[in-house]
Amino acid sequence: MKIQPLSFLLFCTVLGISPKVWAHGANISYQQTQAIEIQAQYDGGTPMDNAQVTVYAPDDPANPWLKGMTDAEGKFTFSPDPTVTGNWDVKVRQAGHGDLVSIPIAGNANGDGGGGENNTVQIATAPTSMNSGYTPLQKAVMAAVGVWGCVGTALFFARRKSSPTPAVHSESRVEG
Amino acid sequence: MHIPDGLLPSSVYISGYAITGGVTWYSLRQISKKSNPQAEIPQASLLTAAFFVSSLIHIPIPPTSIHFVLNGLMGIVLGYYAFPAILIGLFFQAVMFGHGGIAALGMNAAMMGIPALLASSVFRFSNPLERKQKTWTGICAFIAGSGAIALSASIFTLVTLATISDSIDAQAERTITLLALGGYGIQALLEGIFTVMVVSFLVRVKPELLDC
Repeated sequence: MKIQPLSFLLFCTVLGISPKVWAHGANISYQQTQAIEIQAQYDGGTPMDNAQVTVYAPDDPANPWLKGMTDAEGKFTFSPDPTVTGNWDVKVRQAGHGDLVSIPIAGNANGDGGGGENNTVQIATAPTSMNSGYTPLQKAVMAAVGVWGCVGTALFFARRKSSPTPAVHSESRVEG
Repeated sequence: MHIPDGLLPSSVYISGYAITGGVTWYSLRQISKKSNPQAEIPQASLLTAAFFVSSLIHIPIPPTSIHFVLNGLMGIVLGYYAFPAILIGLFFQAVMFGHGGIAALGMNAAMMGIPALLASSVFRFSNPLERKQKTWTGICAFIAGSGAIALSASIFTLVTLATISDSIDAQAERTITLLALGGYGIQALLEGIFTVMVVSFLVRVKPELLDC
């Protein structure tokens, strides 16, 4: 029996087609996770958009666990591995500027840190922003305190310099 | 323009402290040689306050924002007092506002303080007490003011480029760091103009304040 080249090619193609293509339906699975969203801003409040983000897991602080980039609003979201508890370090860098934040993640109440299906990720003190987090009023008060400290220092040394002058006057008065 | 904590290798931070330690010692030694070392502390304190607050006033220039550093002006007015003044100002900026950091304090002080001392040397070429040399004094003030910040920006860029770690996209970081140099150029221009304005005012009102 002679096998036509075209028929052979068609047979091979049919065998090679993925089963996914045969199916007419679709299936979407989902999994509920707890994610961490960070927001990176410059001190002036400008978002650090397209900044490079590196996430380090607590069990391997030398090698990046995840790399990525912030979006236009300076935000970056990731889901840490719930079985790895401890401080997750997130580093954001752009043009030499940036910051490093440690996000403590604990295991469930049993404290076993992972393994079981019932474990939940608890973010102890996840910062919402990577800047100092002070309000403008707080910053103004702090700046005023700092400036007042410097002004006070200036006044103190200026006063010491001028203090001998009255003594000279009193001496001259006695002589007169 | 502050080098933050945690982004650079430890060797860079330690080197920064070593340089700052040496320059602080030298500056204090020069100050102690003066007949009355305390005489200039009031103006050093007031300029430290100005330096401290200036980091809170931001001018957005993409991809980042800039703020006045005033290290050139501090060098012109304070001379050797400028370095310890900048060191103290940076310490309070790091502690209160998180600008820079305690680990990076030495590196930041060297980066901003050494150009301030050089600005002081540049301004010594002028004679602000001589009214006929008004234009020359202005030119020297501009070179000192803008040159100090340009030198600081160059040091910042060199340190940044030399310490890009393998964990990030080095090419992207390199490109954006070089692009940021344009912003620092604008900052240098603005600081130069501001320095000329302040120096011109001091020449008219109290020229003896200028350290030269």
